[in-house]
Amino acid sequence: MTKSDRRTALLFFSPAAVFMVLFFVYPMFLLARDSLFDSKTGTQFVGAENYVTALTSARFYHSLYNTIVFVIGAVSIELVLGLILALLLSTGFKGSHFARTLFLSPLMIAPLVCGLIWKFMLNDQFGILNSFLFKMGIIDSPQSILWLSDERFALLSCMIADIWLTTPFMMLILLAGIQGIPESLYEAAHIDGANKSQCFWRITLPCLRPVIVVAVLIRMIDAARSFDIIWVLTQGGPNFSSSLLSTMIYNTMARYNQVGYSSALAILFMVALMSICGFFMMRLWNPNKKAV
Amino acid sequence: MTTFTKQRLTVSSMVILLLTGLFVLAFLLPYVYLIMTSLKESAEVISSTPTLIPSVFTLENYRTMFDLLPIAKYFGNSFFTAISSTVISVFLGSLAAYGLSRFSSRLGNMFLLLTLGVRMVPLISVAVPMYGIINQLGLYDTKFALILVYTSINIPFVIWMMIGFFDGLPKELDESARVDGCSRLGAFIKIILPVSLPGLATTSIFCYMLSWNDFLMALMMTSTSAKTMPVGLSEFLGAYNLDLGPMTAAAVCFSLPVMIFSIMIQKYIVSGMTMGAVKE
Repeated sequence: MTKSDRRTALLFFSPAAVFMVLFFVYPMFLLARDSLFDSKTGTQFVGAENYVTALTSARFYHSLYNTIVFVIGAVSIELVLGLILALLLSTGFKGSHFARTLFLSPLMIAPLVCGLIWKFMLNDQFGILNSFLFKMGIIDSPQSILWLSDERFALLSCMIADIWLTTPFMMLILLAGIQGIPESLYEAAHIDGANKSQCFWRITLPCLRPVIVVAVLIRMIDAARSFDIIWVLTQGGPNFSSSLLSTMIYNTMARYNQVGYSSALAILFMVALMSICGFFMMRLWNPNKKAV
Repeated sequence: MTTFTKQRLTVSSMVILLLTGLFVLAFLLPYVYLIMTSLKESAEVISSTPTLIPSVFTLENYRTMFDLLPIAKYFGNSFFTAISSTVISVFLGSLAAYGLSRFSSRLGNMFLLLTLGVRMVPLISVAVPMYGIINQLGLYDTKFALILVYTSINIPFVIWMMIGFFDGLPKELDESARVDGCSRLGAFIKIILPVSLPGLATTSIFCYMLSWNDFLMALMMTSTSAKTMPVGLSEFLGAYNLDLGPMTAAAVCFSLPVMIFSIMIQKYIVSGMTMGAVKE
């Protein structure tokens, strides 16, 4: 590469680089710096005190636990539902394309609107879900499940909303994966006398594995970062029963104005998420580079 | 024997059809319910015996929502910030992606690694210091602040998407443009960008949606003048506010056009979403 080539290359990516340094690298630096200063005034250097506070606080572990439950619960149900839907649609019956279009409609809805819809449907007084369950005779009275104000159900309600919003994404990715499996594999299995369930366990699932891993990874990152749905539905309550790390950081920052402490929490959250992703990616890309 | 398998086939296809139908219904109902509720009278919206279909269809909620909040202004803010940040980030991002795709350098590779890492950073972690920076610059509650924030969130995504497209374009394309007397930048703008239009379209749609749907950043960076629709919508849920009818109307206005549009341009959305996860 000639010297002028290098200069042009630099010219091409410097505007974007300036942007990212100013509004990404620099904020990250600020975040790290703020986390070492006291929360009240932000001027006194306290070292690792904020981190010690976080790592010894029960609320931090509670939010971490909730985040893990939320991510694993929501993503695994999305995976199962998405896989069932993808398999149904992959049969290519008449109208399957139309059905796919209908399924994709929640895909572009803002998470906030999704939260509003479910807040409305799960309401104690006029929610249609309880009213429906009551009419079906599943619950005794329309008020017997307080989806959003009962500590036992709040996190579950958030998960339901998230599942509704993002299962279509899972379905879409898995459907594309299934359609990418060569037809000849099934033909060969058919000649050998394999039945439908053997085809599924021996061909579809193994061939789909790399796609599943990527889809789950993408969804796990997004689920861990989700804020809007939980904020609208429960704001992390009641009694912190649905508090995730994202809502906890927001509360510490915006409600209690503890910049130092919230920065330390944000750093911990980031490190945790990145190391989990890093772990997955290493396993994904190291042993067999062509797996994905 | 043949009749037997035929019968079994129809039974299984009936089951598939039925199951799919049920799932479609279950997934569509919440949104249909939102639309239906927005057409109810305000008293019926909070009735303790809710029904899916309104007893009286009315546009009352669509009228009253304008009295409660400056909806038109919020809408305008959402649209303006989303469009501006999309245009800027797609242009700067593809410029960078092109540079990275055509000339490899150590600095470039480091930069590429950075854009990948950004994907894993929780938005809330960026939001905390970003809030401080925007405040310091005196940009709190301005549309400009939101445009800056959305652009910087979108740029890594654009680079990630576009670098794949540019890698797929033959190098002879830019070389022939250069022979014809184009500068590097000229070749990029006149030749490369037009042929990557499908990729640009897909990327733009996702950038636009990210900004349009954002709630967290707008919640932190705005108070009155630059407030966007999602934050406005969340205000309907104030503690003493039971104006849920107008809220559903505003939510429909905010999401339905996008939904119809996204069904129309489904091809691009599908290709964008499956890219990266599924390789052909």
